[in-house]
Amino acid sequence: MVQKKETSEKLAALFSLKIGNISTQLEETGREFFCADNKLMDEDEVADMSSEFVSLIASLLSSKDPQKRTSPQFHALETFFSGLAQRMLMRGGNVEDVVRYAQQLQYSLISALEQDSGIIFTQSRSVLLFFAQHFNELIMGIFHTYLSERENTLKAQEAELRETSTPITEIWDGVLTLPIIGTLDSSRTMLVMEALLNCIAKDHARAVVMDLTGVKNIDSQVSHHLIQMVRAVQLMGSDAIITGIHPEIARALVSLNIDLTGVTTRASLSDGLKEAFLRMGIHVSQKIS
Amino acid sequence: MTIPGVHLTRIGKGNFLLEPLRSMNIQDQGTLMRDIVAQVQQEQGLCLYYDLNGVPVIDPVYYGWLDKLARTCQALNIKMICINMQPTAAFTLSNFLTNKPVFETALSVPD
Repeated sequence: MVQKKETSEKLAALFSLKIGNISTQLEETGREFFCADNKLMDEDEVADMSSEFVSLIASLLSSKDPQKRTSPQFHALETFFSGLAQRMLMRGGNVEDVVRYAQQLQYSLISALEQDSGIIFTQSRSVLLFFAQHFNELIMGIFHTYLSERENTLKAQEAELRETSTPITEIWDGVLTLPIIGTLDSSRTMLVMEALLNCIAKDHARAVVMDLTGVKNIDSQVSHHLIQMVRAVQLMGSDAIITGIHPEIARALVSLNIDLTGVTTRASLSDGLKEAFLRMGIHVSQKIS
Repeated sequence: MTIPGVHLTRIGKGNFLLEPLRSMNIQDQGTLMRDIVAQVQQEQGLCLYYDLNGVPVIDPVYYGWLDKLARTCQALNIKMICINMQPTAAFTLSNFLTNKPVFETALSVPD
């Protein structure tokens, strides 16, 4: 422990003497990673980033206990790296670049200190250990940021996909259309039902045309949800019309003993719309010139 | 005559609007049903609109009450139509309903 403390004290002393030189050398590393082909940063940004990193390292080394990875100074370093990872991912960079940059930063820092002090740190296990422990933790932080960013992106994409795959459109005053495309599973059916019922309440829709042309498969649970959806629409006081049922789906519904009594079905979406208009007393005719 | 727990208003010829209040006690279904039906019949009502706007969830107990009221109305040739059913209520009701309900449903009172 005493030896560890001595190491960081010596490093702090060295660091404070040579801070200007170290910052310049670290800038070089940053330019190499972020200003080369990928153009993720401009040179001024790299210069700012390097000097920020140097001042953070300096404050860590001059802190009460530089070994402690729960100190506010170490937390500031972690925040610096997670912010950098977040920025790079948003600009289209990849996590490997940030990790390699952090590793290179570690080597550059050691070699800059070596050059300026004339002491060969590669022969000093304590110095290497000090940096290795801290940088490993920082790299873990980078991965953590990467994973949470990726998770957020996936969640956003999933929500977007869900919204676009079930577009509920008010095609006429009081007539909603719901084309369902792809595989219907229980969770999706529930989401569609929730959105549809809210739309009926909001728009005071009198008829809902649900088009299943894009649905190829249906299972027992989903068919029950579908009937439940029709029933809920009817309970709210709207007419539900199902269109575009594939022969395989019709066969599946029959074999699953699904009761379609009271459910209006039509062959195509256009037939469904005609039926909805008819029920609402709307007559659409071609203009005779 | 005022009926405790509900607002019963005549809206146009032969139509009545029933708005349940928070204080409505469906445990005492018999008295409540008798008072509602008596008033509608007394004024020669033909249609009773039951406003479900303030009912977020319809559970089997509440459905039982609606069913009984609708059947009683049916016996007296009064049509019961439930209006303004909330999405959450429609969802829960459709979850356990096996047959078509006795009452009709509509978005709101027709213009």
